[in-house]
Amino acid sequence: MIQDFITIIQDYWLLLLIGQYPNGPLGGLANTLILSALAIAFAFPVSILMALARLSKWWFLRWPMTALVYVTRGVPLLMLILWCYFVIPLWTGADVPSFLIMLVTLVIYQGAFLSEVVRAGIVSLGQGQMDAARALGHGYMSAMRFVILPQALYNMIPSMISTFVSTIKDTTLGYVINVPDLTFAASQVNNQLLTQPFQVFLILAVVYYILCWSLTFVANSVERRIARRRAGPRNARLPAEAAPLKTITEQL
Amino acid sequence: MSTSVSEPQAAQAIRIADVCKNYGDYQVLKNINAEVARGEVVVICGPSGSGKSTLIRTVNRLEEINSGGISFEGQNIHAPMRGSELNKLRSRIGFVFQSFNLFPHLSVVENVSMSPIRVKGVAPDVAHDKALKLLDRVGLADKANSYPGQLSGGQQQRVAIARALAMEPPVMLFDEPTSALDPEMVGEVLSVMKSLAAEGMTMLCVTHEMGFARDVADRIWFIDAGEILETAPPEEFFKNPRHPRAQRFLADLRH
Ligand SMILES: Nc1ncnc2c1ncn2[C@@H]1O[C@H](COP(=O)(O)OP(=O)(O)OP(=O)(O)O)[C@@H](O)[C@H]1O
Ligand SMILES: [Mg+2]
Repeated sequence: MIQDFITIIQDYWLLLLIGQYPNGPLGGLANTLILSALAIAFAFPVSILMALARLSKWWFLRWPMTALVYVTRGVPLLMLILWCYFVIPLWTGADVPSFLIMLVTLVIYQGAFLSEVVRAGIVSLGQGQMDAARALGHGYMSAMRFVILPQALYNMIPSMISTFVSTIKDTTLGYVINVPDLTFAASQVNNQLLTQPFQVFLILAVVYYILCWSLTFVANSVERRIARRRAGPRNARLPAEAAPLKTITEQL
Repeated sequence: MSTSVSEPQAAQAIRIADVCKNYGDYQVLKNINAEVARGEVVVICGPSGSGKSTLIRTVNRLEEINSGGISFEGQNIHAPMRGSELNKLRSRIGFVFQSFNLFPHLSVVENVSMSPIRVKGVAPDVAHDKALKLLDRVGLADKANSYPGQLSGGQQQRVAIARALAMEPPVMLFDEPTSALDPEMVGEVLSVMKSLAAEGMTMLCVTHEMGFARDVADRIWFIDAGEILETAPPEEFFKNPRHPRAQRFLADLRH
């Protein structure tokens, strides 16, 4: 049994790691990592813009964005992927690579979810912080940047981590539109071996688990460092303040 | 002070003219007319819900008004204007809130130096030194590197005053700065306000501290149900208030 795993890894590690590259497109774990990282990197700023649009006093920003967020949150990700897969080439008239379609879909989908968290974070601060910033002469954007968002985003860290972890998991759905990622590579391996699906997909599961777990770990330690810095040099309050955040993140 | 104002400097720091404000059908401010002279300390008092907070928040346009105008150093702050212009005017009006509203993610000294750096473009080291001086002035030099969450209410409010002063405003507004404080902390905040008044700061304060009003104010505005019913020097106001509702208000305070 153990021998099976070792043999599979020995025979197919390069395929699992980088797909067909350099003879074909980059795939495997490398592509999964790139896709996840890009999706997270874009979804984060997009979610802030979406949240600001939803809180805007201008209806022409607020209404369409509210509709987009509701639709996106109310539809299975798989539907969204298929829509984008068929609709984007129709609109653009170009042959858009499936990787790009998957990236756009993930950014919209995770951006919509994250924007609700950002919005809640901003609203929960109350009017007082904005009033104080305005009274000191900050404009809206300046108040957002220096007063509101630093606090809202800090309070959001646990939710952000969980969204990022689910982004990594969601990249697996790229399989249905043939994005050459780790899942795609694993199913290629499985097609060649035919007799060992359990072993192949267990390896796959372990790799995803390690990925998600290490992201949670890194994010947790970043969070702790911020909490310590914010509590100041004489941080009598640190344990009490840091504890609730930590419990939430550990449930992921 | 600014030298760029081309108009002749008005004698009044603040002039409130025919200000009306509604929340839906409910009229909170009814035709308010009043003035604050340069260097004057005015205390606004009146029963709860009479519109004191609303009035003082219209002075730096944290609240909009329905009609009338409020001029600050000769400029109508409620005139249509660009956002940047309004921000510039606001930055010259200090505001102290009942609930302090310090920025909890910044240290005390950062709370005080942030806006001079980000709004006025003061060099960070200059703003930092200035902030330390202001903190020393409100008796909190040793708390510069603490965070707001580590301070008592009275200390937080003194930081809030230092933060407002850091923008070097010619006028300071206070909205019940001591109402959220435990009784033993009221004194430390009032004494900072007294020293400001003694230095000639123009101040408009909503407060229930009648001792402060008596000792420090040049004039009292009594407001009830959205109207200024009486304006008088404190000795006159406390000894023989003219308006029946002012008489009742003072009688209620004493009991
Ligand atoms: N956003 C709002 N919408 C509707 N009504 C409001 C709003 N804000 C205040 N009011 C009403 O306007 C009136 C005046 O409120 P304001 O806060 O100015 O009173 P105040 O004199 O400061 O009272 P207090 O001493 O309790 O602080 C109150 O009756 C209040 O209920
Ligand atoms: Mg009030």
